[in-house]
Amino acid sequence: MTNHICNASCNHGITAENESDIREEFDTARRSFLKTALMGSGAVSLGAMGVTMSPMAGAATSSAGASGSGPMHYFIPATAETVLWGHFSKIAKAVVEVESGDFVTIETLTHHANDDADRMVKGDPGAESVFFWDNNRKGVDRRGAGPMDAEIGAGAGAGVHICTGPVRIKGAEPGDVLEVRIADVFPRPSGNPDFKGKTFGSNAAAWWGFHYGDMLTEPKKREVITIFEVDATGERNWAKAVYNFRWTPQKDPFGVVHSTIDYPGVPVDHSTISRNNDVLKDIRIPIRPHFGTIGVAPAEADIVDSIPPSYTGGNIDNWRIGKGAKLFFPVAVDGANFSVGDPHASQGDSELCGTAIECSLTGVFQFILHKKADLPDTPLAELNYPLLETQDDWVLHGFSYANYLAELGAGAQQEIYSQSSVDKALRDAYHKMRHFLMNTQKLSEDEAIALMSVAVDFGITQVVDGNWGVHAILKKSMFPARA
Amino acid sequence: MTGMYRLSTRDIPPGLREPNWADVLAKLELRYGGNSIPVLDETAGATVSCSTRQSLFVRLNGNSQTLCSQPRDRIRSGSTMLVLTVLEGTMQVLEHGVSEQLGRGGIILLNPDQDWQLLLSDNFRAMAIRLESTGFLLRLVRSGRAGTNRIHTDHGVGALCLDLIHSIAGQLENLGAQELTVIETNLSEMLITALSRETVADVDDNTNVQLLHLRRLCGAIDGRLGDPDLNIDQIAEQEGLSTRYLQKLFRNSGTTFSEYVKHRRVQHCCLDLVNPALDGFSIAEICFRWGFNDAGNFSRVFSQIMKVSPRAYRASPPPDPRQHLHRGQPHSWLHTGPHPESAGGNHLHKRQQPFRDLLHDHTRYALSLHLAPKRIATTHRKPSERQNRPEHYYLPASDRTVHWGYFSRDISPVLTICSGDIVTVETLSQHASDDWERMIAGDPGAEAVFHWTADRKNVDRRGAGPMDASVCGRGAGEGFGVHICTGPIYIRDAEPGDVLEVRILDIQSRPSCHADHEGRCFGSNAATWWGFHYHDMLTEPKKREVVTIYEVHQRPAPHARAVYNFRWTPQTDPFGVRHETIDYPGVPVDHDTVHKNYGVLQKARIPVRPHFGVLAVAPREGTTVDSIPPSYFGGNLDNWRAGKGSSLFLPVSVKGALFSVGDPHASQGDSELCGTAIECSLTGVFQLVVHKRTALQGRFLENLSHPFLETPEEWVIQGLSFADYQAELGAKAQTQVYKDSSMESAMRDAFRKTRHYLMTEHQLTEDEAISLMSVAVDFGITQVVDGNIGVHAVIRKSVFPDWPSAPPETTSGQQSGKP
Repeated sequence: MTNHICNASCNHGITAENESDIREEFDTARRSFLKTALMGSGAVSLGAMGVTMSPMAGAATSSAGASGSGPMHYFIPATAETVLWGHFSKIAKAVVEVESGDFVTIETLTHHANDDADRMVKGDPGAESVFFWDNNRKGVDRRGAGPMDAEIGAGAGAGVHICTGPVRIKGAEPGDVLEVRIADVFPRPSGNPDFKGKTFGSNAAAWWGFHYGDMLTEPKKREVITIFEVDATGERNWAKAVYNFRWTPQKDPFGVVHSTIDYPGVPVDHSTISRNNDVLKDIRIPIRPHFGTIGVAPAEADIVDSIPPSYTGGNIDNWRIGKGAKLFFPVAVDGANFSVGDPHASQGDSELCGTAIECSLTGVFQFILHKKADLPDTPLAELNYPLLETQDDWVLHGFSYANYLAELGAGAQQEIYSQSSVDKALRDAYHKMRHFLMNTQKLSEDEAIALMSVAVDFGITQVVDGNWGVHAILKKSMFPARA
Repeated sequence: MTGMYRLSTRDIPPGLREPNWADVLAKLELRYGGNSIPVLDETAGATVSCSTRQSLFVRLNGNSQTLCSQPRDRIRSGSTMLVLTVLEGTMQVLEHGVSEQLGRGGIILLNPDQDWQLLLSDNFRAMAIRLESTGFLLRLVRSGRAGTNRIHTDHGVGALCLDLIHSIAGQLENLGAQELTVIETNLSEMLITALSRETVADVDDNTNVQLLHLRRLCGAIDGRLGDPDLNIDQIAEQEGLSTRYLQKLFRNSGTTFSEYVKHRRVQHCCLDLVNPALDGFSIAEICFRWGFNDAGNFSRVFSQIMKVSPRAYRASPPPDPRQHLHRGQPHSWLHTGPHPESAGGNHLHKRQQPFRDLLHDHTRYALSLHLAPKRIATTHRKPSERQNRPEHYYLPASDRTVHWGYFSRDISPVLTICSGDIVTVETLSQHASDDWERMIAGDPGAEAVFHWTADRKNVDRRGAGPMDASVCGRGAGEGFGVHICTGPIYIRDAEPGDVLEVRILDIQSRPSCHADHEGRCFGSNAATWWGFHYHDMLTEPKKREVVTIYEVHQRPAPHARAVYNFRWTPQTDPFGVRHETIDYPGVPVDHDTVHKNYGVLQKARIPVRPHFGVLAVAPREGTTVDSIPPSYFGGNLDNWRAGKGSSLFLPVSVKGALFSVGDPHASQGDSELCGTAIECSLTGVFQLVVHKRTALQGRFLENLSHPFLETPEEWVIQGLSFADYQAELGAKAQTQVYKDSSMESAMRDAFRKTRHYLMTEHQLTEDEAISLMSVAVDFGITQVVDGNIGVHAVIRKSVFPDWPSAPPETTSGQQSGKP
């Protein structure tokens, strides 16, 4: 096995010459994901899920490993077969198994795409397969970690995010650390020819938002969805609003009426709503493409609600998890079972109204496994929370409950929604940052505390995901000796 | 203070008092008069301080005695002048057979070369100033009418002279030789003005009339140097003289009007160029300030006169600008100008001499006046004469210009300005006493504020608590509020309902004055009992407070590095109160009692974010308000975004706004977790602009009820756990706020304020505002340690590409906000 270790000049195997080839390859794969035909240029299909694999162009050609000449590059399209909707699971069958060092391009879909199916689902085979729902059948039945026979729908919407995966990392065991590098992120163009070259996202000001119950204008208890347009080519770095509408009770194809946004993927019948155009006129939302939900499977339960983030990551909802970021997760189960979803075009710290600009994205990820035995005396020793490293910063994630599944016991998945506070999250972020500084920088406790007050920024990640988040940002430039 | 000399008869046994007292009198060229040596009781005392020009400033008090001038046969410089002011008691002056009775507030000028006698009453207090090199002043006294040279102090410049002398008497302990020199020239100038007004009627000699005219012209020109269009016709018209006559006066002085103006401007530029408080201004800005309207032209003129380019002059100025200018030989315009004596010979030279002297004197005095802190030189032009040009003021930090640990609408302003004026304000960190040597010693301002001995504490009240410390026994004010705030500044045009915009134009560090650390900058971070970490420590002893001293480095990029840390040990203050914890500000830390750990945070380089933790207007409440919890009036916001280039908008609650600033920080992280930042004395340059409510109609600022910060890239809305904690919590607010605060309520407040801002200023609907907040507004934790917890919302301006980016240019009070 060859580890492809990134350095400052690394392009993750993607060069200007082969980038278009790779993109072409992804497009081809997406178009033909249901077919089992052999791909061109060395790519091979792996089973019936549309996953393909090809050797990395130009990477590690000199070394010879058991599996060939270097890291492999996999492609996972988002389809009904390659996603888990609304939950993490250690028992779910992996979509693909990769080795440390391998790259995987992963498509992710936003669970809000059905707010405007015309723009975000129609003509996109992957999205159509996931969102498929008629009187008889749902493309993906389980949505959430709840009971399959819930009145509201299978899985009870206890967890909402469409997560692509899981990806199994060969040799990963509890106690190891999985490093996930986000080599690239790009928007998913609309499949509808009417909106060629455009990408769309949806922002729902929902009942779980911080603002709900605290509105000025009537009707005070309303949910409002705003549709945003993003440049599919990625050249324009801002998004603009297209229209908004107030949520009206929606009857799903199985006949259940959803008077609020209580179950993901319910198709909105646009004849029942009234659109307001001209909203947020002349306003440019700077885009920050990132993945809201990213993590490995927790050990505590077989099926876990995707909403509250925890020690294994999950719905962190930090916009800094974008291109160029590296995430480190403590591996909790064999194979790690990594999955990713909840793609966002942009979000502000706090995610105040409940959601971001929920917008389907595709990411290029590289997985590097750090074995437990190699961790002592490295910054990753004793890592028990999702650690983010960006170009300039280390970002530590504090939650109201660092590991709510363990801390709150049997009823954890319900309890967590009523027990959170920003204060507890700051407390957790403080503990983690203190540990990080003492452990990785070998500072005394007094040094760590002084540094936190004068040079660490604490911000509010989100106050809408059950387990509230506060992050701590430490500038890497502060320790020039290490940089 | 060097050169300071004190004498108190209490310390001298009877019998030795009189000869020692005589020594003090001799410095003032005084001796015992009458027929007998007075018997001094134990109440007599003198404080003597000396300027760099060897002028003496003496505060005297004692019992009844008669004094007279020294015998005539003594050799003198011939240019000494004695200024006497009675602070308490009475003084009778006998001169030329005339007797004059001076009471409290009288000022008299005496020529030591002449005979006179002083009869001092019992329990007198007086200020005596022996001015050296007062040739010009002396000429006025000599040329004046017979009799005493008494300054009328009931109005006008005379009244200002009195105020100044009173201030000097009050501050004598805190004034260094350099500062006294500045004040001395300032005082001389004022005395000249006062005297010339009184003597003008008596002048009949033609030359004297011309000299008086010339002096008046110099004053008029100085007042308008900043006007690039200044010309001789304007001045002539303004002063009611003919242009021809003006030309003649200047010709008599061996120069021309335009040469004179040019040199005066260059001299002002020289001072500005070497003034560290103006480091942030470009050379072009400085030359524009003094009426040059073309930087290239300025550079040429400057180089021609000073023989060096402005840039080079700024890079390596002469050691002492005052000395340089006073000596003036190689550069003085008087000598580089045309040389008319070549033709006229000695006679002409002689005739020109008094004119040259006058211009020379004027130059000196005017320059010194410019150098003196503007607070003392209260000779402020009326607003109508301002010509829309902002005034610059300098507000030093001293025990007279700060209030420690509290806000109140009742604190007297230390400076009065107009909207649009620029003020350079010194601020001191209340943590400077953590390392007296590095942050206080030798720094006159800091020493004045922190001075605390067994019998004297210069700033007694520290906090809003009772002065008798009847609650906790910590000290006056109880430390209920800790920040040293410089101010307040009264802004003439501000009224309740208006909005005060505080533009932070620049921030400079305050270097150490101690010989071992000279020029280096230090700050202190205290991990204290009010920190978020306290009660939640891993290592023993769990309840400890730790102070870390940092040095701020400017190169390569500005950053801070720790020097050492120490654990707080119980400190006994000079009044004998023991402080087990950091419970009272400004307690000097006895470094013999602490153990210093060097090499802490050795690898860490902390990027600096210089800013002011406290920026406030006076609260509307009539009570004394603790400086710690931030509120609607600003106060201890502790947001590092309030740095250079940003503007803070505050709602005005009282007439004049009463702006104060303090709690300077070299750097802080969002949350200020351990209780403090890198607390580090800084000097800020602020432009204070009043936005009248009537001009804000329909805008968000019209009903502004909380601090609103604008940085070059962002708008920052400050949420607080209690937006107005006094109104919300009632009588016990100042106690309750520390208990009832929460991050959720701060987040709630930030959400509501941001929604309000987006809906009013940007005309969004509620739904739009809420969506925007979720996708494009960042909420961060400002601080969790100031009682009233803060959460801020950051809105990037780039979200609104059509929004006008620059705030409107404002030069006077009647300004609106953005168009």
